[in-house]
Order: sequence, then structure tokens, then C-alpha cells
Amino acid sequence: MTETLTLAHKELTDLRRNRFMVVLFAFLAVTVVLSVVVASADFRLKIADYHHYLDALAASGNAAAVPAPQLFPLQMLRGGIEYLEIIGSLFAVVLGYSMITKEKGRGTLQLIFSRPLGRYAFAGGKILALVLLWTATVTGLFIVITATLLLVGNAPLQGGDYLRLALAAAHTIAYLIIWSLLAMALASLTRRTGTGLILALVLWLIVVLIIPQIGDTMDPDNQIPGGLFASLQVDASHEQAVMAHFTGYETTRDLIEQSSVTKQYERATFAYLGIKTEYNQQPLGFIWAGTFNNTLWLLAGLALSVSAALLAATKKTILRKAP
Amino acid sequence: MTDTAISTTALTKRYGSHQALNELTLSVPSGEIFGLLGHNGAGKTTIVNLLTTLMEPSSGTAVIGGHDIATASNQVRRSIGYLPENVQFYDNLTLAENLLFFARLSGVRAPGARIRDVLEFLDFTGRENHRMGTFSKGMRQRAGIAQAIVHNPSVLFLDEPTSGLDPQGVARLREIIIALNTDLGMTIFMNTHLLAEVTKTCTSIGILSSGTLIYQDSVAATLDSFPGQESLEDIYLHIEAGQRS
Amino acid sequence: MNRWTAIIIQELLCTARERLPQLLLAVFVGMIAASAFIGSSARASVAGVYREVVRQGLTTAPNPFDALSPLYYARNTVIYIVLIGALLAIVIGVRSTLRDRQARTADLILSRDVRPSHYLGAKLTGLALFILALLAVSAVINIGCISIVTGHAMSFDDGARIASLYAVAWLFMLPFVGLGMASGICSSSSTTALLVPIVIWSVMIFILPLLGTAAHPVSLLNPVAAPPAAQSGFFAVTSSLVAPLSLGEQFKHVSALILSDPQATGTMTSGLLIIAAFAAAGCAAATMTGRVRMRSELHD
Repeated sequence: MTETLTLAHKELTDLRRNRFMVVLFAFLAVTVVLSVVVASADFRLKIADYHHYLDALAASGNAAAVPAPQLFPLQMLRGGIEYLEIIGSLFAVVLGYSMITKEKGRGTLQLIFSRPLGRYAFAGGKILALVLLWTATVTGLFIVITATLLLVGNAPLQGGDYLRLALAAAHTIAYLIIWSLLAMALASLTRRTGTGLILALVLWLIVVLIIPQIGDTMDPDNQIPGGLFASLQVDASHEQAVMAHFTGYETTRDLIEQSSVTKQYERATFAYLGIKTEYNQQPLGFIWAGTFNNTLWLLAGLALSVSAALLAATKKTILRKAP
Repeated sequence: MTDTAISTTALTKRYGSHQALNELTLSVPSGEIFGLLGHNGAGKTTIVNLLTTLMEPSSGTAVIGGHDIATASNQVRRSIGYLPENVQFYDNLTLAENLLFFARLSGVRAPGARIRDVLEFLDFTGRENHRMGTFSKGMRQRAGIAQAIVHNPSVLFLDEPTSGLDPQGVARLREIIIALNTDLGMTIFMNTHLLAEVTKTCTSIGILSSGTLIYQDSVAATLDSFPGQESLEDIYLHIEAGQRS
Repeated sequence: MNRWTAIIIQELLCTARERLPQLLLAVFVGMIAASAFIGSSARASVAGVYREVVRQGLTTAPNPFDALSPLYYARNTVIYIVLIGALLAIVIGVRSTLRDRQARTADLILSRDVRPSHYLGAKLTGLALFILALLAVSAVINIGCISIVTGHAMSFDDGARIASLYAVAWLFMLPFVGLGMASGICSSSSTTALLVPIVIWSVMIFILPLLGTAAHPVSLLNPVAAPPAAQSGFFAVTSSLVAPLSLGEQFKHVSALILSDPQATGTMTSGLLIIAAFAAAGCAAATMTGRVRMRSELHD
């Protein structure tokens, strides 16, 4: 245990002083904040349009009451969550990969493994460092996000909103750790510098971008410009009745989407933040009932990635693949 | 402490069909500076990898400081220090932080005092808080020795320790190796190409050719046994040529 | 054989023999082939939904899919070029220059009578030819798969449009090759060499469009460019600034027009000019590196 803590401590000191990693994290924070700023500008634009519309109605002598666009502050995080989903996971891959390749490249693996370590101490130290790092980083990011919502978005956050933000942050931590550990396992299992990274990038490409894109493409409503049902002038209630006849196809499409851990993460966080309309302003119990399977799949992915990293980063495996 | 620091019996390593080390039987008494010579690809680094437990043998046994490398690998690791060829460090950490890390990994109980001793021994006082990225090649090699001895091992393995050093660096390292042996009583096992260095540093040598140990004796006895040869280099080439023919 | 040709052939051989780009290549070609079949499956489901809607008496409109041309099946190809194609271009560009630094062959080359710009220009030409060959094969596969899915051979006009799409794709991938090569020469480690161009790619594909259109990142995976946000206030400023830099959106816009996508409007001239300007800038960045940088050591 002591050597695991020693390794984790060394790793965190090393990362804190790595300028490139600091720049990457700053970039991620700026990106997420920018998305909130853009969302708030977009909302202001909608409000301005609404007022213009009201003025036009008044000028034409029409006194009909038109509901104002409602602000749900947490929905402004959609872009930010999607950035964490795509770019955050990309950085997580790089971080996990560099945890192993820097040791291989410097030749410090031999220095470490010529010492009396337990079988899983090396991997354990790295995993612990990643867990601590992502917990601290994501917590910091969500504090920045909350501050941006309050200051830039002028969003009135309630007590429950902070809990929802914390739940979204917890899902984000698990999601990013998964990517870092998968990349760490791949870097341990490959001999040449760059091979592990490219393999991890291919995996990232398939899981984060291609599978969700295929799922999206298979959605009949996405096939026609403006939406299939809108072009056929079929309303939402009838849409459900029609789609009830295509459960097999929809289940296949859903399974394809669910095979991506990114979709599991997205569905759960979108629900807790109310970005998915059916969960907006709903109690947490209702959201949990609808999305617990997504959270459990995310946890299963976490368990799988921890196991993969533990098994791949043992002395025997890693030294066999050291240059 | 046993009288034999390193002993191997029929130690063999195969990579697929390639025999990297062929039934090596070798004994290095405690207190020696043993130099292992051999051409490129003779199997020198393979031996060091096996003896430092970085690799497992295909067959045969080896005992370091009374501990078997296969059955008591952690005890072996506690009793050895290792300096790989072209040693590298965590460049973002200072020398002291690097040494603290390796000392803790080696289970040193009061690392602070030990690190101070090692830094003083290796003439690093005042540089301990400099980041490794700022160190020259010679200083890195000395820092490599520091990490290898920070836990006070009884046997030290040095893989091509003078590789890439300038003449001053080579001379400085030679002084250190001899001091480690005479002042701290460490047994030293080193691989090297520089035969002139072996004459000045080592007390005994072994010659490895294509995975087989073809010669082992003390440096003094070796120089006496080949009166027709002017230097250790000539003797080495003579023995190697005899093996090939 | 002159030096120029020798370097090109050497580059083609090295790139073709590298296993990792081959993996990305397999994913790319596989997705190009699969895209037509995914489109076909979606079309079959739409036909089923349409029949059901008609059976329930909910519409009298004609099946909207009947109006769509076979080129519709190629629309997903565009997104695969933006995602996989660009990453492939980056990886082969980075590997090309990193290879010389890792193996220290840059010293062997630069100790001969070869100008760095000449050498890098020939390497870039080799990679451009490699991508051209890859896209030509992909175009043939794409046309073949669409013909299988539609049940008849593609018309000459549609075939020409697919070929044009891949010609623009070649131009779109070139700046990423150049960017990868420049990064492979200038970065201090192989990790940063790969990462820097990938970060730049993610900015161009996912971040700049958001500033100009307020489009959510995942919606940018749609093969048709995001419509501009209302041109007032914040977005009036940002969209004019970032739209020319959103290379992915420009490519999607031009491609949608080439494929006669009913959602696409406007002309392709400005888009083509922007893509060509990026290609020229990428090539210049790759070939203008100095001798000292090419020899610099990697710190992995």
C-alpha cells in the first residue's frame, strides 16, 4: 500500500509540473465555459426575439398572450457536457497513455521494477493518481461552470440544482477515468511509442463519434430534412403509436447506441441536468428510475477499465512490451 | 552476508528459437568488481535483466546475496541496485524528489538522512533541488548511481555505465565505482565495452560470446596468463578469436 | 530516378507498410462501405413507417424518401471524411516526419546534398498521392455499395458527383497532412506531435462552429453544415470571424451541394476557396521547416 501511495504521489507531482497537461486542462475549462457563454447569448437572443414578437403583436392590435421562453439554467450546460463527452475523453486518453509511455520512454520502468513492489502496486499507484486527478479536475471544472452560470448566465440556481450538478460531475469523473484507464491499458500492452495512442484513438473514434452517429443516422425521424413525422404532418402522440409497430428496429438502434459508454454517460447526465425534456424539473427519484441502467453500465465500464489497467500494467506484461 | 555475491547455474534464456543465454554458470565472490565483456548481442544485457529480476529465465537458477531470483525475487530486489544503460529520470522532478521516490519504493525507513548521505558521497550537495531536466549527461549518470545505492544494496549492477560520457566523466565515474566497492563494500557487476576501463576498475572479468561464458578469472591473473599480449584488449580479441576458430 | 521521385517512392513505401495508419484506413474504408448499408436500413425503416402512417390514415403526403436521389446514401461519407479521414491524414503526416527523428535518419538525409524544403515537399507529395489513391479506392467502393443498395448501376452524373466529392475530400485532407508533418518536426515528443494537430482539428470541427452558430457539438456530427444563428448581437460578430476557419463546416457545406442535398443552400465557391487556402497553408507549414528543427531530438 505504501508503494502505491508513493507512486501516486510521484505521479501527481509530475503531472502538476507538466506544462502541457496544465495547458490541456485550461483549454478544456475555457471550452466548457465558452459553451455556457454561447448558450446564454443564444438564450438572450431568444428573449429579444420574443420581445420583438410581442411588440409586433401589440402594434397590430393583437392582445393574445404568448408564453415567454423559459430559462432552465442547467440546460445551458448541454454544449459543455458534450465537450466533456468528446474533447474531455480525448484528453483523458492522452493522459492515460502518457502515464505509461513516459515511464517506458525514460527507462524508469526498470528502475521501478527492480525494487520490491507488490504485483499490482505499480498499476494501483497510477490508477489512484488518475482517480485523484480527475476528481480534482472535474470538481474544479464544475465549480467554474457553476460560477459561469451564476455570473454570465445570470441563472438563479436552487439548492436542488447544486445536487444535480454534483451528480453530473460524479458521472463525468467516472466517464473520464474509464477513458484514461483504457488508454493506460493499451499503452501497457503495446511496444512502440505511438501504437497505444493510435489504438486508443481508434477506439475513441468508434465509441465516442461513430457509434452515436450510426445510432443517430438510423433514427427514422432524422432521415428527412425537418424530420420525417413533421414532413408527414403527424403529431407527437400519433408518432408514438406508429413507432410502437417498429419496436424491433428501435431496440436494435437503441442497443447500438447503448454499446457506446459515451451514450450511457450522455443519457444519465442529460437527465440529471434536465437537458432531456422528459426529465426536466422532475424529482431525482423519477430520473434515477429512468436512467439507473445508464449509471450502472457506466459503473460496469469503470470496473472493466480498472481491471484492464490492473492486469495490463503488471511488471510481467509491461516489461515484455518495454522498448 | 554469504561469501558468494552472485552465482548462476545453467542459466538459460530463449526468445522463441533464439538462444540469448546458454546454460551460464558463473560465480562472483563478495567484494569484487566484476566486469562482463562481450561483443554486441553476446547476451550481456540479458544477464543483467535476469539477475535484476526484470526478466525470468527459461531455465536454470541464479542466487544473489543468498536469495534465489525465482523464489525470492523481492529479497533479491532489496539487496541489489541497478543502473541501466542511458538512465533517464522524471525530468519535472528535482534530484531530491526523484531519489525520495526511489528510496520510498525500496522501503528505506528514514529516506531524508540516507539521501543526504548519498548526495554528499556523490558530490551533489547544493544541486538536490534542481530539476533533472537541467542535468548534463555526466550528472545524470551520477544521479543514476545515487538512485541505485539510495537503499544501500550489497550488490550493484551497472549496464554500460560509461556509455556516452566524456573522458572527465569516465574518470569521475571510475572513482565513484571504486569508492562504492572499497568504502561501502558493495559487490559490483558491470557490463562494458571499454576494455581500458576494465583494467583500471575491475578486479575480475568474464567474457561472454554468443550467450556462452568462455572465460572467467581475476584481472591480475588474466594479464599474467597471456604474456604475449600487450593489453586486456589484445587478450580479449585473442580469446574471442580462439572461440570462433 | 531523380531525388524527388526517390523520396516520393520511399514515402509511399514507408506509409503503406506502417500498420497503424492501416488500421485507421481499414476503419475509414469499412465505414465508407457500411454507410450505404446503414442508409439503406434507415430507408427501409422509413418506408415501413410511411406505410404504417398511411395505413392509420394519418397522412396523404407522398413518401418523402421517393424524392431523394441515390446520392442520399453517400451523405454519411462526408462525416466519415471529416472525422476518420482527417485523423488518418494527421496520423500519416505525423508518422512521416517523426519516423526520421526517431530513427535519426534525418542526419543521414541532411548530410547529403538535399534542401530541407525539397525533401519535405517530396514527402508531402508522396503522402498526397497516397491519400489520392486511398480516396480513389474509397470512391469506387462507395459507388459499388450504393449501386448494390439501390439495385441498379449508378448514373454517370451521380458517379461524377461522388468523384467530385472525393476530389474535394482530397483537398480537405491535405492541410491535415501538412499540419501533422509540421507537428512531427516541431514537437518535443511523439505524444505532443500527435496531440497538437488533433487538438487543432477538434477546435476546427467542434469548437469554432459553436461560436458562430450556437450548434451543439454532437449535432455537428450531422453531415449537413449547421445553419447560421440569427445574425444579430453576439453571433453577428462571431460568425463572420469563425465561419471561414470552421474547415469542417465549409467541407460539409460544399459536399452537401455536390450531393444535391435538399437541405443545402447557397454556392460552393467561397467554401472551395477556403478549403484550398487551408490546403496551401498546410503544405507551406510542412515544407518551410528548417534543418535544425528536423534534426532536433525527441524527449519521449
